[in-house]
Amino acid sequence: MATANPIPDNTQTAENTATDLLVLVTPMAPEHFKGVLANLESAFSPDSFVVATQNELPADVPSSLRVVATPQANAAWSLKPIDFVNAARYGREHEAKAFLILGPEADSLSPLALRSLADAVLKASIDLAVPHYSLPSHAGLINSAILYPLTRAAFASRVRFPLSIDLGMSPRMAERLAGVASAISPAIQAEALLWPVNEAVAAGFVTDEVDVGSRAMPQPSDPDVNSLLSLITGSLFADIEAKAALWQRPRRPPLIRRPTVEVDQSDGTEEVAHMVAAFQLANANLQEIWSLVLPPNSLLSLRRCSTLDPAAFRMPDDLWARIVYDFLIAYRLRTINRGHLLGTLIPLYLAWVAGHINVMASGTPAERHIEAVAAAFEADKPYLVARWRWPDRFNS
Amino acid sequence: MQLSTNNSMQAATQNITALPGYSEDVSIWHHMSEALHQSLYRVLTLLIAVLPGILAFFVALLVFATAGVLISWVLRRCLSWVKFDARIAQKSGTDWAPASSPTEIVARASFWICVLLGLIIGVSAFDTSYATGAPLPISLLPYLTHAVGAALLLIAGVVVARFLARSVLISAVNAQLQYARILSLGVKWLVLVLTAAMVLDHLQVGGNIVELAFGILFGGIVLTLALAVGLGSRDLVSRSLESHVEHTGERTHIPDEVPTASRHIRHF
Repeated sequence: MATANPIPDNTQTAENTATDLLVLVTPMAPEHFKGVLANLESAFSPDSFVVATQNELPADVPSSLRVVATPQANAAWSLKPIDFVNAARYGREHEAKAFLILGPEADSLSPLALRSLADAVLKASIDLAVPHYSLPSHAGLINSAILYPLTRAAFASRVRFPLSIDLGMSPRMAERLAGVASAISPAIQAEALLWPVNEAVAAGFVTDEVDVGSRAMPQPSDPDVNSLLSLITGSLFADIEAKAALWQRPRRPPLIRRPTVEVDQSDGTEEVAHMVAAFQLANANLQEIWSLVLPPNSLLSLRRCSTLDPAAFRMPDDLWARIVYDFLIAYRLRTINRGHLLGTLIPLYLAWVAGHINVMASGTPAERHIEAVAAAFEADKPYLVARWRWPDRFNS
Repeated sequence: MQLSTNNSMQAATQNITALPGYSEDVSIWHHMSEALHQSLYRVLTLLIAVLPGILAFFVALLVFATAGVLISWVLRRCLSWVKFDARIAQKSGTDWAPASSPTEIVARASFWICVLLGLIIGVSAFDTSYATGAPLPISLLPYLTHAVGAALLLIAGVVVARFLARSVLISAVNAQLQYARILSLGVKWLVLVLTAAMVLDHLQVGGNIVELAFGILFGGIVLTLALAVGLGSRDLVSRSLESHVEHTGERTHIPDEVPTASRHIRHF
């Protein structure tokens, strides 16, 4: 819904002038936006970038800063299709050589991080620069449990945060993502998620990670894991289904990965008992539904897991990989209603989280465990490909 | 003399044939045979009159089923060609997610519509021939229509009951309700009892007995569920009430034991 321009003064100077960098800043609170502008001024010279945003400009903003107003949209916790459409549109208008999309609470990104993201595109000819955040060990667990390992195994991408909320993009990457975003029906634009890494792999573009340090991650308005897991996992499953012809081809993953720095190894062991109890309750009640999705071996392993004490609880990495793959296959085959399917994945995910916390409590660094999980996904990919092609071979 | 003898013999013979027992015996056999012949004739006539109707029923069913197979095949091809599934997925997202793909649903629906059309036309043809063949104008169509309607109601009821039971079970398990299975079973039987009552009512079987039985069963299930949920949640309710009494005027706080509301863990 377009409304009156909230920042009239600076938009006059910004129109139709070529620029190196277009920075699209998504809707956020005024104090965060002020911080983003300050960091951008520190990172770049004022004449080298244009800011496209719907946020209201602070009173003390320098006049040299070039800003264009984008149509009004609702604030969100992730990047929305409209953000990619706007970025491509304003980048085209200003003949931008690189794009930077900054998500909510991007003021927590340092000027150096912003500079690194932009340089990856401007100087290193990277099409998609994805930030590598240093998050606390108990944050971003859906990403660690499903998004990262599954994307890595399917698309041979080492990007640690496939659903990143900040991105650096080349013009052709921006155009591709805008094309994908435009194809999504307006009715579901508000909830739709785009998977830039998967799109970059599909287009054969160059992707790289940029270490940006720590960042405050915005949380969804409804942080309930039930709806969050269904939304995110369902979207990734749908994208993998749409790109089935691509990921079934064998690919060699890039070998080099930047070493990651562990930050806050916070304790969450008091949550483990609750999560294990949730899993045990599900194990007692959802066997009938799980048996439609999971092979007998996995069901047997889950029964064994359900007898473990919370303190000793572990979800074996290969079992978790197999479970996610079987749910992906069931999603594709529509074995049961997709809403039901993703609903029954939640207790299993909580079981993985409980096991992950116990592994960390035993002294193993979180990143090492996550890498081991991702390796298990990679090792079991032939099973996914085989069952995708011949779904009837259930008990292999 | 001879003449008088012959006359007396004829009279004797007439007397013999005029004996009451012999005459009745002949008449029963005659009437029975005639009744059987007439009955056989009537049944054969009816069969001959109905036979074309039965034949028409099967022919109509066969023709429309074949047409249905062809139409669904053509539709499946066309929709796959225009990437119908992908378009629907783009427009509706993942919220609408039945067990089959949209293309498959359209193809199957077209086939079953054709079969239903064949059934209706076949029954109509059969009904017409039966009505003309029968001495009394008895029509089968209304009863068959009711039966088909009842069958559809039953199928829809079973599907809805299964779907709702599964939805309730998953939601209750994810909300960590210990009585998830009872709740799910209760919902399932509520819908099944409702469906059964609707089916019997549609078939006009049972009359008031069905209504009464339905009321008792439905009320019984609701009471059972209320007791099960109430007893299962009594701790939660008592905590809520205690909290309300202790902190009158303040916002009621119920301790949340659901692991999703974690203080340390951030899922995204």
